[in-house]
Amino acid sequence: MTDRYKQFALSLILTASINLFGASGVLCVLGSPRIAAAQQAQSDGPGHDDHEHENDNGEHAEHSAPDDHGAPDDHGATDDHGAVRLTQAEMDEFGVKIATAGPGVILNTLELPGEVVPNADRLAHIVPRFPGIAKEVRARIGDYVKKGQVLAVIESDESLAPFEVRTLISGTIIAKHITLGEAASRDRDAFVIADLSSVWVDVTVYQRDLNIVKVGQSAQVLIGHDVAHGTSRISYITPIVDEHTRTATARLVLTNKESLWRPGMFVTARVTVGEAEVPVAVPGTALQMFEGRTVVFVETDEGLIPQPVTLGRHNETTYEVLSGLPPGIRYVSKGGFTLKAELEKEAFGDGHAH
Amino acid sequence: MIERIIQFSLRNRLLVTVFALLVMAAGYYTYTKLPVDAFPDVSPNLVQVFTVTEGLAPEEIEKFVTYPVEVAMTGLPGVEKVRSVSNFGLSVVNVYFEDNMDVYFARQLVGERLQEAREQIPEGFGEPELGPISTGMGLVLFYYLNDTKGEHSLEELRTIQDWLVKFHLQTVPGVTEVLGIGGYEKQFHVVVHPEELLRFDVTLGEVIERIRANNLNVGAQFIEKNAEEFVVRSVGLATNRDDLRSVVVKTEDGRSVFLSDLADVEIGGAIRRGVQTRNGAGEVVSGMVIKLFGTNSSTVIASVEERLRKINDILPDGVEIVPYYEQKSLVQGAVRTVTSALVQGIVLVSLVLLVFMGGLRPSFVVAISIPFSVLFAFLLMGRAGISANLMSFGGLAIAIGMMVDGTIVMVENIDRMLRTAKPDEPRMQVIARACREVGRPILFAISIIIIVFLPLFTLQGVEGKTFRPLAYTVSFAMLGSLIFALALAPMLGSVFMRAPKRKSVPGIKSRADAGESAIVRMLLRPYRPLLRFFIAHRWIAVAVSLGLLAVGAVLFPRLGSEFTPKLKEGTIVVRLTMAPSISLTESTRSTLIVERRLLAIPEVREVVTRIGRGEVGAHADPINSAEIYVLLHPPAEWRTAESQEDIENIIREELGNIPGVLANLTQPIEMTVDELLEGIRAELAIKLFGEDLDILRTQAERIAAAVRDVRGAADIQVDQVGGAPQLLVKIDRKAIARYGINVADVQAVVHAAIGGEVAGQIFEGVRRFDILVRYEPRARETAEAIGHILINGPDGLKVPLDELAEIEEIIGPRQIKREDNQRFITVQCNVIGRDIGTFVEEAQRVIDEQVDLPPGYLVTWGGQFRLQQEANKRLRVVVPFTLLAVFLLLFSSFQSLKNAVLILLNIPLALVGGVAALWLSGQNLSVPASVGFIALFGIALENGMVLVTYLNQLVKEGVPIDQASVRGACLRLRPVLMTALTTALGLIPLLLATGMGSEVQKPLATVVVGGLVTSTVLTLLVIPAIYAWFAPRKPVALD
Repeated sequence: MTDRYKQFALSLILTASINLFGASGVLCVLGSPRIAAAQQAQSDGPGHDDHEHENDNGEHAEHSAPDDHGAPDDHGATDDHGAVRLTQAEMDEFGVKIATAGPGVILNTLELPGEVVPNADRLAHIVPRFPGIAKEVRARIGDYVKKGQVLAVIESDESLAPFEVRTLISGTIIAKHITLGEAASRDRDAFVIADLSSVWVDVTVYQRDLNIVKVGQSAQVLIGHDVAHGTSRISYITPIVDEHTRTATARLVLTNKESLWRPGMFVTARVTVGEAEVPVAVPGTALQMFEGRTVVFVETDEGLIPQPVTLGRHNETTYEVLSGLPPGIRYVSKGGFTLKAELEKEAFGDGHAH
Repeated sequence: MIERIIQFSLRNRLLVTVFALLVMAAGYYTYTKLPVDAFPDVSPNLVQVFTVTEGLAPEEIEKFVTYPVEVAMTGLPGVEKVRSVSNFGLSVVNVYFEDNMDVYFARQLVGERLQEAREQIPEGFGEPELGPISTGMGLVLFYYLNDTKGEHSLEELRTIQDWLVKFHLQTVPGVTEVLGIGGYEKQFHVVVHPEELLRFDVTLGEVIERIRANNLNVGAQFIEKNAEEFVVRSVGLATNRDDLRSVVVKTEDGRSVFLSDLADVEIGGAIRRGVQTRNGAGEVVSGMVIKLFGTNSSTVIASVEERLRKINDILPDGVEIVPYYEQKSLVQGAVRTVTSALVQGIVLVSLVLLVFMGGLRPSFVVAISIPFSVLFAFLLMGRAGISANLMSFGGLAIAIGMMVDGTIVMVENIDRMLRTAKPDEPRMQVIARACREVGRPILFAISIIIIVFLPLFTLQGVEGKTFRPLAYTVSFAMLGSLIFALALAPMLGSVFMRAPKRKSVPGIKSRADAGESAIVRMLLRPYRPLLRFFIAHRWIAVAVSLGLLAVGAVLFPRLGSEFTPKLKEGTIVVRLTMAPSISLTESTRSTLIVERRLLAIPEVREVVTRIGRGEVGAHADPINSAEIYVLLHPPAEWRTAESQEDIENIIREELGNIPGVLANLTQPIEMTVDELLEGIRAELAIKLFGEDLDILRTQAERIAAAVRDVRGAADIQVDQVGGAPQLLVKIDRKAIARYGINVADVQAVVHAAIGGEVAGQIFEGVRRFDILVRYEPRARETAEAIGHILINGPDGLKVPLDELAEIEEIIGPRQIKREDNQRFITVQCNVIGRDIGTFVEEAQRVIDEQVDLPPGYLVTWGGQFRLQQEANKRLRVVVPFTLLAVFLLLFSSFQSLKNAVLILLNIPLALVGGVAALWLSGQNLSVPASVGFIALFGIALENGMVLVTYLNQLVKEGVPIDQASVRGACLRLRPVLMTALTTALGLIPLLLATGMGSEVQKPLATVVVGGLVTSTVLTLLVIPAIYAWFAPRKPVALD
């Protein structure tokens, strides 16, 4: 009887153990390896990178959380307060340049299309006094003529007497509408003479620029591709805008001793619309967008930290800093992107776009 | 049934021989045709749809491209899910199909629906294309072009790559695609000077139109001339830069304005989203070869290499192709690891046979079962479409020791019967009797081994794909061994085995020992008294086993646990992630710095890096991600490092602290497969679905904050979706109305002036290069310059862009991910120190309380825990079912509940050995280890059966139980030890292997070898001892 009982008990225990031990063991292994893997990953702690795939940035992911200050962080050059420490070698390697904040000049320019036209103040339209037949034409187009020089001889229809047509100014003949034997009339210019020693540049000013383009501003005039340039000032701006093109015209007067500027030429005028001396100016390369704000990285005891700044006037390369960057402070003038990226590093851990 | 088979085999020896030879020949033939891979391909069954739309931001890509494609894919049969990523300029839609779906059929379905999608995508927004017919394992070879003389520009090299190397490689059988990256794709750039447009009063649109209109060939049928036909061909294609320059854009007063008056025509590089660099020195041009789905990796690689040699000959002087990553070495390494294990296993097993059988002939019969079973397995592998790889061959290696078992039992019985049979009994009859006696147990034993592998077939996902080939090959080989044992072994036995000549051996004490080989006699000497002791003191036996069990129970919780050990691919890849807003120039600069640092490590020979993506098809990485292939010197030249791990650690140290760059170490295949799986590696993934990206982001952050406070939460991470700066040109409708300009007029100029517009192609033979019309850089590179771009209105009106539109800098989405037709954002999280189920419940409650989601926003819970739960649920059914099936088999075999229970007792004791072995070797409990346990169950059960069957027989013959226990155990010492030893020794090579892929097989082998020790001890000592309690009722005494 005891034997029977023993037998039964044993078989019960052992079958139970099979089921528990065997089945649950297998279940355990097949079912939950990742939990353990994760635990292991956690126990490895930060600093070890050997679990490449479990994202080891989890522990850095929330720097903004106030209770996160105690988090051990020997990973990377970032510390809890968002400062970056770099060695000089690293700064050289990544092209991080330091400069001292100081005053600068901000030159604002505007490039506008323009056209060289004859100086209307130095233009002469020559017409014959009386209608008649051209008996003699002494000047050709393009000739330079002196004031009072005879350009043509015309036989008057009324008196049948020849009379001389003379130029009123010295200049170049830029148009000629008279041919030998032709009937010349007072209605038509026989000659147009322009004094090209100075020319006008009519610059197109668009509506949005009208409030910044002012008479007296200086401007460089470029013949495309920076080939040649002259400098002048805006002498006049049309008081009304063209009904058709909705643009105004600003006028520059250029001296043209070397006959460089030919009417009809298409040029670009680079108008200096603003020039300001500011107490703190930084190059555009110093500015970074960080957490939705514009920042400049500044040197502190803790390292390089992003300092939000407010900007004032600027041009394409230089920005005025109104606040946030006192003069004399050392700041990162170039290579700030590397620092910004370092600060954002924990956030882009998932960067492998999938 | 079994008897009929045995009878048939003995009667038709020739027929059976021919059948066996046929099977083996067919097996060998299949073997030569088997595709060879390194690992089982765990890539999901998916079809990818790529659409490139140059220059479009993620939002537009999603709206105009991704969405139509996604919608078209819904409702396809067999689709599991549709996921998409809309990146800058690229839309990738992944259509995941069920695993059993034929890949070509799936592609066909997707292709058909793509037609619909194409109609929905606006003109000029790109053509959706199917990805290559390949998988994550398809990237078999990467190369770069080495310009040794430095005479070629990057454009020239890229042209060589795209039009010479690629052309020749693409025709290699088994290659589905060759993708180029690096350098610049050659283009003809028409660099327009905007002031010249103004000067000549021409619009950009006119320029593009004129270029198009002056670049074409036509055919004009034929004319007949003197009974002959002349085909008329009018040639007007521009073929070079001068042709382009002399395109007349405008004629006024008989004076022509040529294109060269308005623009410079240059040869330049196309806009690119990827760069290839090398050795920190600069850019190179490179390419990758993608293997066709289902082809044989090793053959494809061999033919690609062959072709590369030929291409090298025709390349320009000084240019050579240098492969820098080849899967070949990996495939070879993996195959070498398992084949050497196989061969060593066979040798060891044969040795055991020789030693124990004590005769060449029976050993020979048993040894033949190995090639037969293996070839039989090959045959079935071919039918089942399983490739030769680390896991499937690993299965064979595991099975080596087991596939001889059936035959061992059979041959051993024949051998013994022949020895003990009466001399006058015909030999054939003795053999038939011997075979009949063990036929049934063999059938059941092997069936049980096959059955215990059942749970493996139910594994899903990556685990399933990894271990199912192993389960298949083990089952196939065991089936082969069963056929061999039942049908061939009797026949071979009858041919080869003879009754031994009876001669008295000096020093033999009992009749039972007669004829046993020397080693068995040696073992019997201590075994018999020990066994007697245990039988006399049964409770000691029980105590010993309980003690063992206790040891196991103590050790078990101490085991570490991990998922499948990582397969070492032998190639180190460093993946860099940089800020999402980074420019390609900057990311190239940073990458070069990292490359130089890596190159400073003495063991590193060369580094080659891909940044971003090249030709679309294999990668869709953004430009802030780079993958560095680290090539090492041969190990013999290593100075500071001893092993690859050392080097990896040095790399980690070296790269741990690079400002603005995050470096991770990975491996090529692993990386690609991960990409395709798009899996969430964390246990828990909280997915928030909804419309508005900003709301998604803020709500996800709130969810993260809420979950962070739940006990057990760790590694919480919110998907980074933003961070890509945009320059937004917002058209002011009132302003354009004032000027009478259309939105399209503005957009056309913005598109062409800033982004560039392709105005046809230049043909150089069959090579074709785009003509890209674009403003000069000065006029489009800054926000100010863009604001000054003039838009043409009616009547020659010209208005600068910033009068018509607002131009602002904003931070936009980096990418938009969608699943099931909805945008989503993921919050990932791990759970530590508590049960994940309760964690999820609590987290759900906390989120409900603290996060107030707007209507239309939905939270789902997923991640690995979901998969685990599913796997657990499945296994909870399958494992007991398997045990039940085993039990039923045992029961039907023995017709005795008690016997069945006795044999099942083997399992826990076998487990103890496995656990102890894992603990001793410092390994973790992993999936391969549990596969080892499964195999162990089978073997332990088999051993138990062999013994118990015989004990029963003796009892039936009327031998008293205790006597029967001793006699039976001593008689069965040889087969039990042999089967255990063959199995263990068959695995020893895997246990000691250090080659590629050995890390996966090692835990498995450890478990089996360790478990066999305890289970054999149990079988030999404890089972006979407690047999009395389980013995069938004593038959009524016959005498």
